[in-house]
Parts: sequence; C-alpha cells; structure tokens
Amino acid sequence: MSQFWEQQLAEIREQLLLMSGLTERNLSLAMRGLVERDDKLCDTVEVEDSQIDQLEIHIDDLVITYMATHGPIARDCRLMLTASKISNNLERIADQATKIARRARELNTEPLLKPLIDIPLMAETAQEMLRDSITAFVDGNPELAVEIIARDKSVDSINKQLARELTSFMIEDPKTITRALNLLTVAKAIERVADHATNIAEEVFYLNRGEDIRHEQSLKQGS
Amino acid sequence: MNSYATEPRMKPPETAPMPQIAAAVESDDQTQPTMIEVEKLDFYYGKSQALHDVSIKIPANKVTAFIGPSGCGKSTLLRCFNRMNDLVDVARIGNGQIRIHGVDIHHSDVDVIALRRQVGMVFQKSNPFPKSIYENITYGLQIQGITDRKILDEVVEKSLRGAALWDEVKDRLHTSGLGLSGGQQQRLCIARAIAVEPSIILMDEPCSALDPIATSKVEELIQQLKGKFTIVIVTHNMQQAGRCSDQTAFFYLGKLIEFAKTEKIFTNPAQKQTEDYITGRFG
Amino acid sequence: MHAPANPFVVQNSSARTFERVCFGIFRSATYFILICATCIFGMILFKGGKTVFQSTFPFVNVPFLTQAPETLFVFEYEGKKMQMGDKEFRAFKENLGGVDIAADSYVYSSGGVFPCIVGTVLLVLGSMFIALFIGISSAIYLNEYSKQGKLVAFIRLAIMNLAGVPSIVFGLFGLGLFVLFMPMLQNFDNPAAPSIPVGFGNYLNFSGWGVCLLSGWFTLAFMALPVVITASEESLKAVPMGFREGSLALGATKWQSIRTNVLPYALPGMLTSSILGIARVAGETAPIMFTAAYVVRDKMPWDVDHALDTLFQGVMALPYHIYVVSSKIPQNEYTERVQYGAAFVFLFIVMGIALASIVLRIKMRNRYRW
Repeated sequence: MSQFWEQQLAEIREQLLLMSGLTERNLSLAMRGLVERDDKLCDTVEVEDSQIDQLEIHIDDLVITYMATHGPIARDCRLMLTASKISNNLERIADQATKIARRARELNTEPLLKPLIDIPLMAETAQEMLRDSITAFVDGNPELAVEIIARDKSVDSINKQLARELTSFMIEDPKTITRALNLLTVAKAIERVADHATNIAEEVFYLNRGEDIRHEQSLKQGS
Repeated sequence: MNSYATEPRMKPPETAPMPQIAAAVESDDQTQPTMIEVEKLDFYYGKSQALHDVSIKIPANKVTAFIGPSGCGKSTLLRCFNRMNDLVDVARIGNGQIRIHGVDIHHSDVDVIALRRQVGMVFQKSNPFPKSIYENITYGLQIQGITDRKILDEVVEKSLRGAALWDEVKDRLHTSGLGLSGGQQQRLCIARAIAVEPSIILMDEPCSALDPIATSKVEELIQQLKGKFTIVIVTHNMQQAGRCSDQTAFFYLGKLIEFAKTEKIFTNPAQKQTEDYITGRFG
Repeated sequence: MHAPANPFVVQNSSARTFERVCFGIFRSATYFILICATCIFGMILFKGGKTVFQSTFPFVNVPFLTQAPETLFVFEYEGKKMQMGDKEFRAFKENLGGVDIAADSYVYSSGGVFPCIVGTVLLVLGSMFIALFIGISSAIYLNEYSKQGKLVAFIRLAIMNLAGVPSIVFGLFGLGLFVLFMPMLQNFDNPAAPSIPVGFGNYLNFSGWGVCLLSGWFTLAFMALPVVITASEESLKAVPMGFREGSLALGATKWQSIRTNVLPYALPGMLTSSILGIARVAGETAPIMFTAAYVVRDKMPWDVDHALDTLFQGVMALPYHIYVVSSKIPQNEYTERVQYGAAFVFLFIVMGIALASIVLRIKMRNRYRW
C-alpha cells in the first residue's frame, strides 16, 4: 500500500486518540469538580463535550468515506468497524462525564452527605480501565483487553454496595434524598463508564484477534 | 484520593481547536479553475449516437474519473479531448463544443498536432515503441525537430523520474522498451507522455492489463502527478476510481448521469442509477 | 480382486480408419509434390550442370557465362570430329589459308549466355525497384490514408483483377502503351505520331519508347504489382495500431507516424513480397517478348553515346533465349546443351536475387524487431 492511503488510515487513528484524550480529560475534570467541589471545572466539562460530539461525527465520516472509496478488507475492515464503535463508546463516556459534572454542580450547593470514598475508588478503577483500553488500542495488545474486562465486576460490586448504603441513608433521613439520589446518579454514571471501557476493550480484542468476545460471561468473572 | 487527577495520555491543549469537519460536499466544484469544458456535446459513430447532450467541467490539476458500463461513451468522450476520434472515418461531432483552455478544439484554427502535444494520452494496452527506452521518451521531442543531445538527456531523466521509473531503468536506457515488465511498460508510456509537457493527461483504463502490484504503483504515480497535470482516467474498476480520483463522473448509454466529488458519489450518490451501478446491481 | 477395467483403452472405429486414410492421402500428395520438384530441379541441375560445370580447373565453364551466343559449327577435319564457335571457326579457316570446310551449323549452340544474364538481371532489378516503389506507395495510401468507399473498393477490385491477367496480355499492354505510345521529349516534330509542342523547339512526341529496358521494366512492374501491393498491405496491417496511436497522440503528423513508427517495422514483410515478385517477374517470357527482348543483340545496353540512352536499349533475356533455343530452331543434342545450361544459370540467378532479398530482410528484421 502506498503512503497516501496509509495516511488516511493514520488520520482515523489519530482522531480516535484525540477523542480519547479529550474524553479522559473531561472525565477527570468532572471527578475533580465533584471531589474538590469546584463549579468552574464542571462548566468546562459541559463546554468541552460538544467538541467530543463533533469528533464522533467526524470519525464516522472518515470511516464511511474510507470504506466506500477503498473497500478495505481484513484488518483494515475491522479497523473501520471498531473505530466507529470505539468513537461511539467514547462519546457515551463523555456524556456520562457531563452527567457527573451536572450532578456535581448540584451537590456542591449542599454540604457533603458523607465523605467521598467509594465513588472516587470506583472512578479511579473506571478511569484506569478507560486509559488501559486506549493503551491496548494503541499498542495492539489484546491480552490487556481481556484483563480490563475482568475489572468491570469490581466496579459493579462497589456500585451495588453504594446503592444499598445510600438507600439506607434515604430511609433514615428524608432530608438527604436529593443528595443521595445525585450520588446514586454519579455512581451509576461511573458504572456506565466502566461498561463502555469494557466495550472498547472488546472492540480492541476483535480488531487484533478477529474474534468477537462480547457477552462472554466467563471473561467477566475475574476481579 | 487524587489519582483521578492524573494527566490523560494525550495532552490536548486547554482550548482544543474544533477539529476540521469535512467541508459540505459540493456537486461540481465551482470554485476550481476549469481545464476542460464540454458543453451540450452530441457525438456520432456513423448513424448511431454515442454521446447525448453531455455537459461537464473538468477541474484543473485534479484527477477526474469516468465510470460506467461498457458502451456508455466514457472512452468516446475521453478520445474526443485529444481528437483521436478523428482517426475513425465514421466518427463525427454533432452539436456542442469542447473547450480546452477556453478554445474550441474543433475550430478550424486549431492545429490538431499542437492540441495533441498539450493533451497527452496513455492507452489501455501499453504500447511502448519497439525502440530503446531512451528513444521512446525522446520520440515526442524528435518529431518536433529537437535534436540537441543535452536537452534530450535532461528530458529523459526528468520524465523517468516523474514516472517513478528512473531508478529501475537508468542503467539500461538503450535497451528495448519491450524488455520491461507490463507495469514498467505502462509507466514508460506515462513517462513518454509527460516528456512533451502536456497540461492534461488522458488515461484510458491504464491498469486493466496489469497485476495488482503494478496497478498500485501506477495509482501511486497518478497521485504524484496530479499536482502538475490535469488527469482524466477512464476505469472499469470501481475501487480504482474511489482510490485515485477527486471527482467522478458516471455515464450511462451516452449520457452523463452524475458528476460530483468522489466521496459523495461513493457514500451517497444523488441518482439511483449511479447507486445501482456502483453497488454492482447492474452493469 | 481384479484390477479395475481400463476405461481409456483404444477402440478402433470407422472414424479412426477414415482419419488414417485421409492422412495417407495428404501425405502422398505432399510427397508427390516433393517428387515432382525433385525431378524438375534434378533434371535441370544434372543436365545443365554438364554445360555449366567442367571437370578441369576452374570447374566452371567460364566462356559459357561470359560470351555471347554464337553459331556452332560441327565438321570433320583430318578424321577428327570438331566443334567450334563462329569466331573460332573463322580464325581456324584463316589459319588454314581460307580453305572452305563443309560444316554443319547449329544456331546459338555455342558461345555463352552472358548478354542474356545481363539482360535478365537488369530487367529484374529495374522492374522490382519500380514495382516496390509504386506498390509500397499504393499500399500506404490504401491502408493508411484512404477512406472506405466506392472508389477504394473499385481500386482494390482492379488490383485483384490485375493479378489474373494472362502474361501475354500484359505483353500486348506493354506493347500498346509503352512501346508504341509513351511520350518522348525530342527536339523535332514526329509527323507519324501525335505531338505536343512544349516550347524552345521541343516536342512531346507520343511515338512510344520502343522496345527497350524502360518498356520492359514498366510492363514487368505492373505484373508484379498485385503481389507487392497485397503483401505490403498485409505487412502494414500487421503493425499494431498501438504504434500509430501512440505516435499520433504525441503530436506526430500522419506521415511522421508512418515513416518513423510503421514503415520500418513493415519493411521486412514488404521485402518478402519482393521475393515473391521476383519469382513472378524473372521467369516471364511473354511480357518481355514484345517490350524489351531481342532474339539476339551484339551490343551491350551500355554501349551508347549518352548514359541516359541505356534506358532506351533493348536487351537479351534468359527466358526468351531459352524459348528461342527450344522452339524456334531445330532440336538436337547441341541445342539441348544450351537449353539446360541456360535454365541452370537462370535458376541460379533467380535464387541468388531471392537469397539477397532474404538476407536483407533478416538484417532489417533484426534491426527493427518488434
């Protein structure tokens, strides 16, 4: 293949990496806005989200153009499919980050319900999963992808536990309902982020190995 | 507690610029300078009409592809541009005009020889002359009367470099052109065509007789050439049109059905006939 | 467990038998041709060789090849049978003091065929040159320039018909046009022929060229034309269209394209046609009988005052000489010697010219390989 068409493929990868960088940043800003109780960070997240949305459109446009004009096969074909799906997942993660930022802004108007321990722990795992899935994409490392999928369970279990805890808060003291619900939403959003990171890992595995490992329960057993 | 504040791998600037979104697709790029303008052209072979009311503006310094099923008139139109159809007794132009550099090429003032020097052609079956590689390339200059050895040497090197063939043949310039492989022969024909410095290069299915590797070399060459020349390529191979061209024109039964940017034609053609053809539903 | 039956075993059938019979017929026909050719060539080589070769040095009968024909005198002198040519006999009689010796004379049975050799070679070379020039030009016009239409179809029909014209008719045509009618530029007015004054005291007299080389050349050229035109056209057609298109697309004029990119590669084929033409032209007697050949001529064509007059000289020719020796005079053992000798020399010359043409063609093919 000549350099000319390689450039087009390289551009798709670059745009994906750009999008993943912006998404990671937005997620991290949203968490900081929550923990440091900083509304300005939350505003930044909402503003930057539109960029990420535009990138999703742009990447899809590049993908369909390349597919239509070059008719790629084999790995290039899988790259097209996975690029589109990864960008979709990244966009959803960014949307979740926006949701976290909005909830954080509301939470910042009231004092803390309880010290934030579980949520930052979940967030750290989820962010690691996202970062590692992008690393797996860049490095072409399907083994790392499998490992990522296994971590999803821990996030799910923290989420369940937190839901139980917050439910008991709400039952004991109805005045805490607003804050508890907001925290539940934040936890749910982080759990969704982990799910999307898992999806990205599955796509990376498919890209490199050509095997579809979505919905494989056995892979999610580990911790 | 601050682990989530670690920097993301890609450090986008605080105010990342809006990524470039593909510009809204225009039908035929009105802002580009036009090299070849066809206006309401009718063309006949004897009694049968090969082209019906064809109007198209081919932009300069870009690659335009003509696609369509066999017998749709794309090769006929291509050969009109350098008046190679004059060789066929029964071919004649009806209404309409073809203008190159703004001049009607069928006007009696126009010298066909000068036209053909400006509009070069590469044929489907590569036809290197049975002379040496050197003589093949200098043929176009020698018939103009240029015999200065230094000038000819320069032109040979420049053309062969331009056709990405110099490194492969520089040690055997005086061996027969027929001793080259198929792909090399076709690149030799391209070098021969660019030796006379035309402004337009017409290519009539240049890769149809070549294997995939030779084809990809020729396609790469087309990309390199397009900055300096206007290239019009007739092709049966959809993927080639998609890979190589900036604009694509779809012809059917002697009519121009659609002409637009290649990306648009291949992702969302406006005419159903175009879509049916490129997806292989007919033709 | 027996081996499976061979499904491909040879079966005899009527079709196979018929095939064998047919092939047998084809083979016999081919060998028959070979036998006939061997007989003809063998006879000429054997009998002619007796005249042309001799057993002593230089092994070739040089006088036969270098002298003009003479009358043979056979006589007895002092009990010995002697044969002498005319000049030798006269000298012999002189030596004896002018005595008259009774001798049988046989016309043309002595001397050689040198003037005939010269005449044949000149006729062949000249007519082939003219035929190739006119033929190749016509072939180029018909193949490259003419538009298909009634006129061209008519021309092709005419060429085809020309190939079927009997040689004696060509002779009459040559006689009527070249010998009796072609214009001569002379400085007097010929009262016996239509003439046109062209100024400065010169006249174009339509009195014909007379029996001469020019008339013979043109007559023979016209005989060879159909072969040359057809073969040249085939050679031009064999050159791929790609060469022409490629050169035209680079901005060559049509003639430049033909001259540099078509003709050189068609030339070998055209020269082949010349070989065929030579074969036809060299052996013809009827056309040259009326237009170029004399039965006997004592001057060589170049024994003239002005060089250009050579063109207007008649010549002797080998086929005509063989005809004359074989049919115009009584046959005997002495004439037979001359006939076969002349035939041998004639074959040799024709093959020599053809060989030269083949060699030239091979050289050109190597140079213009495609």
